[in-house]
Amino acid sequence: MLKFIVRRLLWLPILLFMVSAFTFFIGTYGPGDPVQVMLGARYDPDTADRLRMSLGLDRPVIIQYVDYMTSAMQGDFGESLRYRGRGVMSLLAPKMLVSLQVNLVAMSVSIIIGLPLGFWLAHKQGTWIDPFVVSLTLMIMSIPIMLSIPLALWGLCLKADLVPCSGWGGVFDSRILIPAITMGLPGVAGLARLMRSSTLEVLGQDFVRTAYAKGLTRIQVDYRHVLRNSIIPIITVLSLSLAGMLTTGFITERLLGIPGVGDFAIQSIFNRDYPVIMAFTIVLATVFVFANLLADIAYMLIDPRIRVT
Amino acid sequence: MKNIFILMSVHIGLFLISCSAVASEVGDAQNESRPMTSAEINTILPDPKTINLTGGMFNRLWSDPPTLDPHLCSDTTSSGIVVEVFGGLVSFDTSLNIIPDIAESWDISENGQVYTFFLRNNAVFHDGKKVTAADFKWSFERAANPETASSVAETYLGDIKGVANVLSGKTTEITGIRVLDDATLEIEIDAPKAYFLAKLTYPTAYVLDQYNVETGGRNWTDNPNGTGPFKLIDYKIGERIILQRHDLYHLEPAKLFKIQMNLAGGSSMAMYENDEIDITGIGMLDLERIKDPIDPLNSDLVIGNPGFSISYIGFNSEIEPFDDAKFRKALTYAIDKEMIAREIYTDLVIPAYGILPPGFPGFNRELKGLKYNEILARKLLSESKYANVDTRPRITVTVPGTGGSANTDLEVIMNMWEEILGVEVAIQQVEWATFLSDLDEKRFQMFAGIGWEADYPDPQDFLDILFHTNSENNQLSYSNYEVDSLLERARIETDVEERIAMYQSAEQLIINDAPLIPLWYPGERYLLIKEKIKNFELTPMIVPKMRFVYIED
Repeated sequence: MLKFIVRRLLWLPILLFMVSAFTFFIGTYGPGDPVQVMLGARYDPDTADRLRMSLGLDRPVIIQYVDYMTSAMQGDFGESLRYRGRGVMSLLAPKMLVSLQVNLVAMSVSIIIGLPLGFWLAHKQGTWIDPFVVSLTLMIMSIPIMLSIPLALWGLCLKADLVPCSGWGGVFDSRILIPAITMGLPGVAGLARLMRSSTLEVLGQDFVRTAYAKGLTRIQVDYRHVLRNSIIPIITVLSLSLAGMLTTGFITERLLGIPGVGDFAIQSIFNRDYPVIMAFTIVLATVFVFANLLADIAYMLIDPRIRVT
Repeated sequence: MKNIFILMSVHIGLFLISCSAVASEVGDAQNESRPMTSAEINTILPDPKTINLTGGMFNRLWSDPPTLDPHLCSDTTSSGIVVEVFGGLVSFDTSLNIIPDIAESWDISENGQVYTFFLRNNAVFHDGKKVTAADFKWSFERAANPETASSVAETYLGDIKGVANVLSGKTTEITGIRVLDDATLEIEIDAPKAYFLAKLTYPTAYVLDQYNVETGGRNWTDNPNGTGPFKLIDYKIGERIILQRHDLYHLEPAKLFKIQMNLAGGSSMAMYENDEIDITGIGMLDLERIKDPIDPLNSDLVIGNPGFSISYIGFNSEIEPFDDAKFRKALTYAIDKEMIAREIYTDLVIPAYGILPPGFPGFNRELKGLKYNEILARKLLSESKYANVDTRPRITVTVPGTGGSANTDLEVIMNMWEEILGVEVAIQQVEWATFLSDLDEKRFQMFAGIGWEADYPDPQDFLDILFHTNSENNQLSYSNYEVDSLLERARIETDVEERIAMYQSAEQLIINDAPLIPLWYPGERYLLIKEKIKNFELTPMIVPKMRFVYIED
């Protein structure tokens, strides 16, 4: 197992190199540059050249890249070009942390409701309940946040006066309620459906029949045999979605006043804030590699039949 | 001046996603004590009894400022905070008159090129240290130094003798700035320029504390030692900024005790209704209901002066078919702006026929604009080189944005061109950074969706910069010898009326040539301000004004 982990991790630098080089060169050779955005239409070639020189953007691209990566490897991701003087990580890290917390809460809501629901629905196959509940969750999933958030704000904040309308106070603050509902509930549909089909598949297996034949009660069968097996694909999906946990959508952020990273990342792209884009890409790529690794490890722990070669 | 990205149609759709956020609890952060450099602590403190300390806290939405360094500041999000925390020699009052700030008075030499500023002896930094002429000299030199990498130093300080040499890195000292004594500063400019004093109101010309900047590291602005009516006492990126009154302020100190700016965003209308903020803009969809006198929010409705900006459709006068003035004019005459303003913008914009916005110095009521006239439009088209549809080059208008759908006004205008003139125009949308770079390279045949906004109230800020043949910002490739010579003479004319007359003739000549189609001036702004908030002036430009605001319980 250790060998497997090490081998996986050896891929990390190669992957990071490819991702970072790709991002860097696409950004640099693509149209538009940070100095242009800084100057807006008040562009004047002399001023632009002077700024490029002061900011080190006049050096050959390959040297800029090597310089950037050298300091990035030492943990220094440079300064933002838009928020002048600010270290990139001092801008990104707190925002990613907020996004992570929001996502964890939303995901917990999805899991707590979605998994039992899917499991239950699998047992209700053939009755009217199954299609009814599935359609209901699909309907909830289909409500765009542009509608669900204003609705939640209107109902929970302005009418019921349960929570303030916006802002962020951490996971244990009442203001988490609206994002938890509006981001968590749509996730229920996906998880419940996944859980339902995976449970159905397990229920049709021979070993389940055998278990019943042994005289085990339904609860015993469900707990010992069905649940354990049907949850495996869910674990993969969940661990892979860990990679996306560091970002939140900018619409949610803006509507609810959550200082997450989504809006910031988009603005950085529009502003050609290369150091921020680079750091963001590198962090996400790294997290993705680890999330994948985690998924594989979780797999092995849950199901001893799966062996990595 | 900066190019503004006009997003009117997008605002209608996304009115909810407008501003910023809330942070409910008030951080009781104490001002960090900073070491003082010289022992020169001002002794002339204002008598506490004369200060009207009504106190209280003002809550509003804001977003993260790209910078709080006055010398780097080039946008209104930054300058809205910077003008309250820092200060310079002169400032604007809320009616946009130039008023003394740290300079108590000044003399201008006969030839109009040497300004002598006499500093107040009670002007101090937030830590109590007195502001001297040497502080100003150091600050100007820092602003112009290439290491500071200010994108606006040349615009605002470029008229001062010797600044060019500092900008290019040849030297670090500005020869045109001389310290005569602690309280007297002399600034020499390269030609008599009536608008120079107005430029000194901009943050690029503000005074900084050398010790604060040099010891504060790259984020010295987190603990700035300014001279403005408010001190920055707490800044948490993405969450909040809290300003607190500077009691030793040299002019009348602020009445508010604190200003809290919520940076995280949120639905501003909902937050306002929930008493989380004291002021908010109003989306088009809410306006209708709030205008109704029976709406509870109606009593909070405040109508403010429009900002000084104009949006327009630009032609490239060197690219076919816009090299023919008759063709440009035909398109201009074919637009019924009154109808669009009424039907689409519900009169939230004012149709523009000239360049200078209403209320701006030099605004000309008598200007003869090219008003909607179908018959004239068709006549001009038939007389133009491009009367024949078959030989006319393809026309594409480029707009900035990533939204997918173009601005509604432009769609209606294109429809008018097609119906009245039979001129078909294709539309192409380009992402903002790419748009800017193509605009600077003058690659567009025709462009729209942008505008121009004033940073100092002088006609030079619009006319010289957009229309002079040699201006780097003349993206229209417009060139008219007569206009150029008027603009050049107006730069150095000292007689105010004469100068305004020159700009007005230049403006008329420009309009007659139709190098662009002026579209809209912003209309009156509708805002909601809580009734307890008094004296909040809605100014068309960013000026220091928070010290006048007070809260009445």
